[in-house]
Amino acid sequence: MRAGEDQDMGALDGKVAVVTGSGRGIGRGIAMLFAKEGAKVVVNDPGVNVDGSGGDAGPAQEVVDAIKAAGGEAVANTDSVAEAAGGENMVKQAVDAYGRIDVLVNVAGILRDRMIFNMAKEEWDAVIAVHLKGHYNTIKPASVLMRQQRYGRIINFSSTSGIIGNTGQFNYGAAKSAIAGMTRVVARDLGRYGVTANAIAPGAATRMTQSVPESARQLRSTAGIQGAGASTNQPPQESQFAGLRDAEYVAPMVGYLASDDAWNINGYVFNVAGGTVSVAHQPTAMRTVFKPGLWTLGELDDAVQTVLMKDINNPAPPRDDVEVPGRDVPARSLD
Amino acid sequence: MAEKPFEGRAYVITGSGRGIGREVALLIGANGGSVVVNDPGVNLDGSGSDAGPAADTANEIVKGGGKAVANMDTVATEAGGENMIKQCMDEFGRLDGVIHVAGILRDRMIFNMAEQEWDDVVEVHLTGFFNVVKPASIIMRQNRYGRIVGFSSGSGMGGNAGQANYGAAKAGISGGVRCAARDLGRYGVTANAICPGAQTRMTQSVPDSARDLRARAGIAQAPRPASIVNQLREPKYVAPMTSYLLTDQAWNINGKVFYVSGGNVALAHDETPYRTIAKPGMWDMDELRALVPGQLMGGLANPAPPPADLDLPGRPVAAQA
Repeated sequence: MRAGEDQDMGALDGKVAVVTGSGRGIGRGIAMLFAKEGAKVVVNDPGVNVDGSGGDAGPAQEVVDAIKAAGGEAVANTDSVAEAAGGENMVKQAVDAYGRIDVLVNVAGILRDRMIFNMAKEEWDAVIAVHLKGHYNTIKPASVLMRQQRYGRIINFSSTSGIIGNTGQFNYGAAKSAIAGMTRVVARDLGRYGVTANAIAPGAATRMTQSVPESARQLRSTAGIQGAGASTNQPPQESQFAGLRDAEYVAPMVGYLASDDAWNINGYVFNVAGGTVSVAHQPTAMRTVFKPGLWTLGELDDAVQTVLMKDINNPAPPRDDVEVPGRDVPARSLD
Repeated sequence: MAEKPFEGRAYVITGSGRGIGREVALLIGANGGSVVVNDPGVNLDGSGSDAGPAADTANEIVKGGGKAVANMDTVATEAGGENMIKQCMDEFGRLDGVIHVAGILRDRMIFNMAEQEWDDVVEVHLTGFFNVVKPASIIMRQNRYGRIVGFSSGSGMGGNAGQANYGAAKAGISGGVRCAARDLGRYGVTANAICPGAQTRMTQSVPDSARDLRARAGIAQAPRPASIVNQLREPKYVAPMTSYLLTDQAWNINGKVFYVSGGNVALAHDETPYRTIAKPGMWDMDELRALVPGQLMGGLANPAPPPADLDLPGRPVAAQA
């Protein structure tokens, strides 16, 4: 709170926000916090099952009712983000109901987990349509208005499954990594117009994470497969307070990014879980080998094994009983 | 390193009629590998078709004493991806690796980007990756051997104005590589990605005026590995590291992203937490307001800052002046 401001003012007073997938889970926590901080909220949620099937107006309406009961302002929307018309509709509904759109938060998502060698095209398409195309479908119409008004906040949802990697989620991981990449581009397209775009990689216990069976987690750990975690021999950076897994804990950082104070935070990905908030490392060059000419394969072998990849882990090494050509070659070093 | 490290092995290379894909195919062919040279010979925006480029590359490999066949399928469809994998099995009796280089461009600022421009780019690059990796992964898992190399981009990893579709698709390929690496690593299969830098038909389509505009507006460009020899921009420089990932020596390199340009080969930093603030409970907005600008974001620049003359809520008055 800065000097001269009314102590009763919320951080988002007068702002108009569209929050996709806000009928449940993380999105719901964001919609509730936004309303508490003074924003008018379009609560979007078609009320589908975790795999995208079905439909239910209940979740969106229930959140609207809860916001209104607490004295806030909100309207429900049950459009699908997977359709261009759906994205346009929810932005239009914000403008029709409240005259503008200041903040767009893209939380909506589904899961269709499957190992890549068993994944059906339909499982790929459905996840890409909701997560990735869904981000385009809302950002495109919102960006037109935000550019005109020289103000806006776009907050997308990525995932460690995409930016770090996870088994059984080729579709979801690709979509979520793509959302991080898209965020970095949109930040550069719109920054000069007073608009910011950032992404959250959340950690929380929700209906979606509950759908990942405990047996899958156990299998990964017994097979020595790293989930979203370390890439080097250093231990993964765990949340210091791992017990805090409620979905509401993701909301404050989203609220902060939506506020005027965050006017100059643009193009970044944040890990948010419990009380832990991190800014993710940009995927810049970590180590480089260089030669002023064309490498031969033999030269690369030396440079890669002794310098570039030294002490860098394989996140899912081959099982001991797999005959792996090249594995019997002793490890090399510069010494 | 064996004299011909790819002797007896067979590879499918998408988009290998021209540019980087062609150089990768030629290097593999010259080192004993059999190649399905896939390229429908489309224009840069995906329109048209031409059997010439794929046939040219295949002929050149055969002329040098190697084995190659041309393939005209599009990676943008499920059937196209399956066909080129099947052709590799039919022609060469095996499949050892898939390298997905094929791609198109439809650059547009996000606020002007048509749905078709989004769809076309995502379909070729990202769904194209699924379309070849899915059928290949079945065979590789059964073989307990295989190599997958996806082509990502500095635009997706670092961000580049006017490329929301391309940047998303390319970052998506990195994400897909990281997941495929974890699905398949235990079966002796690796999956990695290359972010290339080279002068090709594709980069020539980005007008110099766009680069000038970005520079003048202070918009950060996709980071390029520092090079003291920037003139090494021919696509052939990308081929050695791409091919090295296919060798037996690279059996334990998995789930990684590499920047390759000229004589530079760099390992990309994983997108792990860089700085962290933590509290044993729920943050409130005032606490975040106090800690985020300095503790979390101190020194981390806005890649496209708003111009000084823009009236911007939240910006301190001193900074506006």
